[in-house]
Amino acid sequence: MRARLAALGLGAVFGVAMSWGQFVDPDRIRDMLLLRDPYLYLMMGTAVAVGLLGTRLMRRLHARALLTGDPVRWETTRPARRHVVGAAIFGMGWAVADTCPAPIAAQLAQGALWSVFTFAGVLVGIVGYLRWQEEPSRSRAASRLGRARLETD
Amino acid sequence: MKDLLSQRPAWYVIGLAIGLVTVGLFALINERVGVVGGYSSLVERATGRSSSFGWKLWFLLGVMGGALAFRLLAGGSSVGDGYGWLTRSFGSHAYAAVGGTLFAAGMLVGFGAKYAGGCTSGNGIGGTSVASPASFVATGTFMATAIAVSFVIRAVA
Repeated sequence: MRARLAALGLGAVFGVAMSWGQFVDPDRIRDMLLLRDPYLYLMMGTAVAVGLLGTRLMRRLHARALLTGDPVRWETTRPARRHVVGAAIFGMGWAVADTCPAPIAAQLAQGALWSVFTFAGVLVGIVGYLRWQEEPSRSRAASRLGRARLETD
Repeated sequence: MKDLLSQRPAWYVIGLAIGLVTVGLFALINERVGVVGGYSSLVERATGRSSSFGWKLWFLLGVMGGALAFRLLAGGSSVGDGYGWLTRSFGSHAYAAVGGTLFAAGMLVGFGAKYAGGCTSGNGIGGTSVASPASFVATGTFMATAIAVSFVIRAVA
């Protein structure tokens, strides 16, 4: 329960940041993708720098997660075909709709009704992915590959 | 308050906030930030693939709550009028064209993010914050693809 409340609270900070930074405005995203506005890239660079520093520091201090008691640790993944093909498919959708999963949810919560379509599309895309992964021929291939293909974050 | 919220703050303010959310998720529950996982949690529960909702759904609900709170405090939406280039090209009453395009784009976003193991948050911020090589590859790929497709759209739309 406390873990869920923590996720809810940190998600709220994320939602405010998406809204205040105007990442919910498709024209802002379009300006960034057309390289007219560096805000997105500078913001992501800062976020990743803070994230890298924080996670390295916690690992060095052998920190434990405050609410679960687990040692703070993570796994890294070696690049595979899916990271290129999946990301290219994702990038096409991102450029057409000028939005991605966090801003879609934030747009909807702000009352932008067009985003009902995008939100529904994301859900259907996920259903499609899950069904595709569960096809018998793919499952056999996946078990030959040590189920590596079924890993998702 | 309204004046403050109607202007976007400096990029490092939002960057710092997002970075602290990433660090906070590790510090509190040892999890990597990600948003498409919340949608997936909803799908997996609704289709009987999972019997419970994961923390990611709660994070997604938090994003929505934060965005709603922002709108109430700011006194208006920060989404903008219409929907970007789509309503400018097709018209603001072209429900089938704009809605259909957004639905199709959403499908690409949902499918692609699941296949790549994360979206702009999960790979672009969460995975890169722990220096996962796959996330650097995915982030570079979706950035390059989105930039290229945006220039194509500008040329034809």
